[in-house]
This record gives sequence, C-alpha cells and structure tokens, in this order.
Amino acid sequence: MATAEFSSINASPSNGKYAVELKNTHIYYGAFRAVNNVNLQIERQRITAFIGPSGCGKSTVLRAINRMNDLIPGSRLEGQILFHGKNIYDPDVDPVEVRRRIGMVFQKPNPFPKSIYENIMFGPRINGWRGTKQQADELVERALRGAAIWDEVKDKLHQPGTALSGGQQQRLCIARALAVQPEVILMDEPCSALDPISTLKIEELMFELRQNYTIVIVTHNMQQAARVSDYTAFFLMNESRAGELIEYGPTTQIFQNPQDERTENYISGRFG
Amino acid sequence: MSAQSMDQRDRPTGYLPEGADINRNIAARRLRGAIWQAIFVSSLIIGLLALATLIYTIVDDTFGYIAVQTKVDPEELTGGRPLEELSKEELIEILRANVPAGLFRRFDRDEPFSERSKESVLQLVEERVVGREVVAAYKLTESLLERERIEATVRERFPRAKLEFHSWINREFLTRPMSSVPLLAGVGNAILGSLWVIAITMLLAIPIGILGGVYLEEYASDTWYYRLIETNINNLAGVPSIIYGILGLAVFVRALEALTSGAMFGVTDSNGRTILSAGLTMALLVLPLMIINVREAIRAVPQSLRQASYGLGATKWQTVWHHVLPNALPGILTGTILSVSRAMGETAPLIVIGASTFVVFFPDSVFDKFTVIPIQIYNWTSQPGAQFRSIAAAAIIVLLVTLLALNATAILLRNRLRRNY
Repeated sequence: MATAEFSSINASPSNGKYAVELKNTHIYYGAFRAVNNVNLQIERQRITAFIGPSGCGKSTVLRAINRMNDLIPGSRLEGQILFHGKNIYDPDVDPVEVRRRIGMVFQKPNPFPKSIYENIMFGPRINGWRGTKQQADELVERALRGAAIWDEVKDKLHQPGTALSGGQQQRLCIARALAVQPEVILMDEPCSALDPISTLKIEELMFELRQNYTIVIVTHNMQQAARVSDYTAFFLMNESRAGELIEYGPTTQIFQNPQDERTENYISGRFG
Repeated sequence: MSAQSMDQRDRPTGYLPEGADINRNIAARRLRGAIWQAIFVSSLIIGLLALATLIYTIVDDTFGYIAVQTKVDPEELTGGRPLEELSKEELIEILRANVPAGLFRRFDRDEPFSERSKESVLQLVEERVVGREVVAAYKLTESLLERERIEATVRERFPRAKLEFHSWINREFLTRPMSSVPLLAGVGNAILGSLWVIAITMLLAIPIGILGGVYLEEYASDTWYYRLIETNINNLAGVPSIIYGILGLAVFVRALEALTSGAMFGVTDSNGRTILSAGLTMALLVLPLMIINVREAIRAVPQSLRQASYGLGATKWQTVWHHVLPNALPGILTGTILSVSRAMGETAPLIVIGASTFVVFFPDSVFDKFTVIPIQIYNWTSQPGAQFRSIAAAAIIVLLVTLLALNATAILLRNRLRRNY
C-alpha cells in the first residue's frame, strides 16, 4: 500500500515483519483497568486469532488497535501501539487516518441502510476519492470480488444491502472495508451471528485475504481459531478483573503444546 | 414427572405444585391475567367514551335548525330577484335608500364605494338593510328528534321567522373575518393568524432544535454542565405555557418592542403585540420539546452504524451528516409536527402577550395585530348566547381537523421514511 502520502505515519524499514506491535499496553475505562500490560507483535500478512473467555479483554485490545475505543467515553490507553513504527496514540496522529488504514469488521453485520453500491462507495468517497463513474464501478467490483460476494450481488448492486442474508451482509461489510484499501483488517467475532455455511465462506475468504492483508480476529470458537489462524493469543482475566495476555505463539504450538497450564485448561475445555 | 418429584424431595426450600394443585395454580394464574386484561380494556373504553362525548358535543352544537328573521324581505327590495344577481351600482342604491344618510357617508369615508368590491357592498346590504338575524338556534339532536316541537315553537314565538337547517361550519365561515353578528362571523383571519404564527415559530424552532439536539447528542461530553443543561431542557418542556407568555410579554412585547412592532423597519401604527412577538414566544415554548424529540430520534440510530462509519475512516461530521441525520430524519419530522400541533393549540401565552380577540381584518405582515383559532374559540365560548356556542364548536372542528391532518402527515412521513437496519 502507498504510505508515503501520509504525513504522520510513515513506513520505517525496521518494522518489516510486524504490522502492529503492542508494547506495555494498559487500557482503562475510567478508573477501571480493563486490560493489563499486553505485549504483542502481530505479523504482517498472517492471521492472528485472539481467544479467551468472555470479559477477558480480547475485544478491547482489538478495538484499541484502530482507536475505536476512543468512541467510548472515559477510555484511555497507556503504553504504545506501534504501526509502521509510529505510536498511533501519539498526539500528532489522527485517529481518522488510523481507522482508514486499519479497517474493522464487526460482530453483527452492519451494512448501511443504502444500496450495495453505496455501501462500498461510502468509504472511498468520504476519504476524498475522486474518479469517474466507470472507475467507481471498477472499484465496487474489485471490492466485492475481493470479499467473494460479487457473483451473488452483481445483478442487484442498487438494492439495499440490508436485504441480503446475514452471511452476505457480513461479506458486504468486509468488501466495504476493503474498498478503502486498509493494510490491517480487524474482525471482532465476525461469524458469531452466522450459520455454519456462511461461517465457512468467511473463513475461506480470510485465507484469500491473507495474501494481501494482515488479519486479526477475535473469536469464541476455538475450532475456528485452530482452523484459520497462523498465530494465537490467549487472554484471561486476572484477580482484579483486568484482561491479560497469557500466552502467544504459533497456533499449532498453542493448541498442541501450550506452555501455560491455564491455556491448556482452556483449550481442552476445562473452563471458559 | 417422577424425576421432578425426586428432585423435590432433594430440595427442602420451595416446591412446585403437583396433581390437582397444578390445575388450581394454573386457573389462579389465568384468572389474575384475565382481571388485568379487563382493567386494561376498561381504561381504553373510558378513553373512547370521553372522545365520543367530546365529538358528540361539538357536532351537536355545529349543526342544527336556526330560525332566521329579516328586518326587510329581500324580495321586496329587489322586486323578486336574488340579491346576489344585482350589480354593484344597484346594491349601492339599495343601501343609499335604506340606511340613514349619515351612516351611508361614514361607509363611504371608511372606504369609498367606488373602490369597494361587489362582495363588500353585498355584505353591507345584508348586514344593514336585510338584517338577517338568527332568533333561535337548536342543537343537532333536538333538530333531528323534535322537529315538530321546534316548528311549533318558532311559529308561535317568531311568526315572521323562517326555519332552516344550518351548518355553522361552511365555506363563508372558513373565509370570513370575525364579526359581532354570529351568522356573519368567520375564522378566516384566525386561520391566517395561526398560519403566520406557526410559520415564525417553525422558522426558529426547527433549525435551532435540530442543531441543539445534534450537538447535545453527538458532540457534548458527559460533564456536569452539559448534564445541567440537559436537566434544564427537560424541565423547561414541562413549564406551564402561561409562564412563557409572561416571558414573551416582558422580552418580546416590551423590551424588544422596537423590533417586534416593526418600528425599526418603519412600521408606525403598531405596538409590540404582533405576530412576530407571538411567533418568537411560541418558538421558545416548543424549543425544549423539539430538542428532546430530536435527541430521541438521534439516539434511536443504532450505534453499529456509527461504528461502521468511523471504522471506514469517517470523521465525526461525516458520520453525523451521512448516517446519523438521514436515519434520524423520520423521528425528527415526527417531533417537528408534534411541536407544530402543540404550538397551534396553545392559547394561554398568546392571551398574555395580548393577541386581540376582536380583529376584523386579515394580517398581511408579521408586524400586524392578530388572532388565532384557539383564542377565537376562547372568545366565543365566553360570549352569551347559543349561536356563539355554535360558532365556537365550528371553530373547534376547524382546529381539530387541522391538528388531525398534521398528525396524520407525521405518521405517514414516518412510515414512508422508516428504514430497516
């Protein structure tokens, strides 16, 4: 992706391997520490899964990566989250730019109540896209093909996106995220509202997207994490109810040979 | 079943009924439900009865027999031709011949006959020469059920009077201005006055209400001073309207008289008791309502849409403009029309700021004196005589139909614009 055009976040040669790095990250909601001291390096063009029981802070960490937590009043972050070697929480970084370059797909499919075409074009337009009608058509097709939904919707581009099935809506949301050409895509339990067949389609799509994008996915479904991810991070709540990163490593290692007893208990289904 | 009873033995506290107890228990629960349902239905029936009574009373007063008596038979004046067919000159002649010369000159001084329209002269002839006068008016129920008795009474007491079925609400009533003669009175200028006041009110309350609502809902942080403002707005919505009237009197009518009377703009024959003052006061009155409604509408826009927008790199303003406002629009429109209805029906503040109850001309600028429909109704109900009651009822129908139409528009708009998320 072209990065030179941005002023506040520039590519630096030292960050070749990692897309995002969390360093000593603490996240607070008001006085409450929701996430305690997370250190995590997310590899470029890989799928990283966050797993853990409810309330363990995995979604909070995910939303911190593109500063979506800013929208929650009273939320605050200590430590650093590096993107291209730049701390995205530095005062000179605009969260709007961060969110354009680190896209997000939400738990519940949330297409805009507009046509499929308008759903895709909204992102580019608000980000200053200028082009002809033909270029717009191409952009829409590229995004929808990228999200493997083009064949299903090519004849109804001007019908409302909300009329699609749940799984199609979610892929539309992915296509919408792709249209602004992000480098990282964060997915917050993207399949939890979908049936198994739609889930399978999204998982296949994630494999394809992996070639060009860095993907971070939060999931409750451990089989899903085992199936799709390259790396897995296991989170757990500590005694003071703050989320902590317990173990992080290649998915095969986490699932077959966990180093921490708590990880082993969790993935073998003893709690959670 | 057996598993359940085993379960019960294990649990010392509490039990579920069994055998005959189950049926008794279900019957008791159903009975309780039925009683509550009956209570709900009966409160609905009470409401419907109240509404029916209201409509019956109004309609009963609006239609019915009237006994009309004229000072002179119009056919004697014209030799058999109806008055409407005469030319303006012939009408002037009839007027000259039948009223005292001094009165005739005064009419001419008020507005020269050469400049008056034929309708205006016809009205003078009807008022001053023919002198149609309602000597008795009857309600709709009486008129339908006791026709013979009414006819007999009228024959006996007013041998010269003609009995006719009259609808007090008719085209003349809607277009004519106020008059001291009930038969000739209309709500024309009150309707126009109401429209003027509403226009001023909405011109101010809609933009300020929407902008204020958007700011409070989307931009203001959760700090003590915004909470204070919020509490105040909610309380202002409940302040009695007469208080707003006093505020309007002090601020708009008195303190800002130069502005509201139009003296600033060269209008000389007016004081501060104008349409402008009324509109400004009404705007203050509906503003809290408007802001509350706008905020409700904005709050109803799902958070997921905002997140989707922010997630694509939209700024706050882009999110508000492209998603929050369009999706809140149906709710905002409903709120707006509800505010309009409120402003239309309000009477007390306008009485305080001095709306005139006897205005016979039509307002044609915001610096004019005015009257509005509710004030006209109030005025007529306080007059003695059955005929005033009848025109008050007719005016109530006009007001109710207008309000009903506004609310229906609100519902239609909302349904048409409502979106699925």
